[in-house]
Amino acid sequence: MKGLVKILFVSALVASFPIMGFSQCKGFTKKQCLPILEPYLYNGQLNSAVLSEGDVAELLLTFYGGQEYRVLVCSQDLIGKVEFKLLDTDRNEIFFNKEHDYTTNWDFNANSTQQLIIQVLVPQGAVKTDIANSGCVSIVVGFKEKYE
Amino acid sequence: MFIRWRIIVIFLLPLVFYSCNNSKNSSNDANVDSDSANNIGFQDHAQKVKKIFYNIPSPIEMSSLMQRAGADYDPSILNRIESAERYNTNSKMALNLGVYGANLSYTRMFDQIQESVNYLSVIRKLSEGLGIPQQPGTFAVSRIEQNIENRDSLLYIITDIYASADIYLKESNRGSTAALIILGGWVEALYIATNIVDYNDPSKEIMERIAEQKYSLNNLIELLKVYENDEIIALYMPLLEKLNATFDKIEIITTKAEIITDSVKKVTSISNQNKINVAIENIKELKTIVTELRKELIK
Repeated sequence: MKGLVKILFVSALVASFPIMGFSQCKGFTKKQCLPILEPYLYNGQLNSAVLSEGDVAELLLTFYGGQEYRVLVCSQDLIGKVEFKLLDTDRNEIFFNKEHDYTTNWDFNANSTQQLIIQVLVPQGAVKTDIANSGCVSIVVGFKEKYE
Repeated sequence: MFIRWRIIVIFLLPLVFYSCNNSKNSSNDANVDSDSANNIGFQDHAQKVKKIFYNIPSPIEMSSLMQRAGADYDPSILNRIESAERYNTNSKMALNLGVYGANLSYTRMFDQIQESVNYLSVIRKLSEGLGIPQQPGTFAVSRIEQNIENRDSLLYIITDIYASADIYLKESNRGSTAALIILGGWVEALYIATNIVDYNDPSKEIMERIAEQKYSLNNLIELLKVYENDEIIALYMPLLEKLNATFDKIEIITTKAEIITDSVKKVTSISNQNKINVAIENIKELKTIVTELRKELIK
C-alpha cells in the first residue's frame, strides 16, 4: 500500500510539471520584462510560452520605415541563455544574439518597411537529464515614434 | 484491493481533466503546421517551430505613422461615443474596445483633450464589461487630469490599458477576445487612414503608409486563423480576405538590405529601399472594403 502511494505521488508530481509550466508565465512578462523595454513603447501584444530545451518559437511582425524598435527576449533563469535571431522573410540572418554575448535585448531601425521574423531557441543543456528544463520565454517588442 | 483502486482513480482523475484542457489550449496556440512553420535550423539542429506568434502594429503606432505622413484631424470619421450603449455582447465589446482605442490614439495624436477624455471613459466601461481588471488608479480621474496635457504621459496611460488587457486575456485563456480587440483596432486605424486621404490631391506618403499595411493584414489573418473555430471571428474572415486580395494588387519591391551593427550602442540598422506601386484606385478600393468591414464591427 505504501509502495503504491509512493508510485502515485511520484507520477502525480511528474505529470504536474506541465501544470506548473502553464502557470509559470502568468505575470512573468509584466513583472520581469516590460520594465526593461523603456524608453521604448510596448506594442501591447503578449508573446509568451513555456518552452523546453530544444524548442523554437517565432514571432512574425512588421518593422515600419522610420521607426526604431527594441526586441527583448526575456526568459526564466532555469532554461539558461536563450538564443534569438532576427531574420528577413527569406530567412537571411540580420542579427544573432549569440554573437553579442547572448544579450537579451537589441535595438533596430529600418529605412523602409518590411516583414521580419524573430526566432528564439532554447538550447540543449550541457548536462543531459531525463527531464528537460522548461521555463517561460517572452518576446517583447517596443517602438519609438521618432527616428532621426 | 477496492480501496487501492479508489486511490488510483482519485489521484489520476484531475490529471486526465487537466490534460484534456491543456490539449484544447494547445489547439488555440498559433499553429505549427502553417506555411511559416518550416523545419528550421539553429546551428546543426533541425527543429520544428513549437509556437508562432503574429503581431500587428498597435493603433498608437499606426496613428503616429499617419500623422508623420501628414494626415489631418477629422473627428467626423470616428466612432461615436454614444454607440457604446449598444455593445452588450463580449464580442461587440471587445471589437469596439479596439475601435475606440484607435479613436483615442488618433485624438491623442492631435492633442484633442476633451475627446481623449471621452474615449477613455467609454474604454473604461467596455473594459469593465469584459471583466478586465484594471490596476488601481489606471482610469483615475486624477491621474488623467494630471497627465491630459502631456501627450507622452497620456501615451503611456493608453499603452498600459491595452497591454494590461492583452496580457490578462491571454493569461486567462481568452486569446480570442484579445484577438477581437486587435482586429477592431487595426480595422479602425485603416478606416481612419483611408478616410483622411485627399482623393483630389493624394499624398504619396500617406498612400504608401496605407499600402504597407498589406504586411500587417497578412499577420492579422494568420493570427485570427488560430481562432477560426470562433464563430464571431469566422464572420469577418471573408471581408478580411477580400481586403487582402486588394492589397495583393499593390506591389512592394524591396532591395536587398545592407546591415550595419553597432555593438557599443547595441543597435542594428537595416538599410533597405522599397518601391511601392500603389494607385489611388487601389486606395479607393481598400476604403470601400474597410468601410464595409468597419460598419459590421461598430453596428
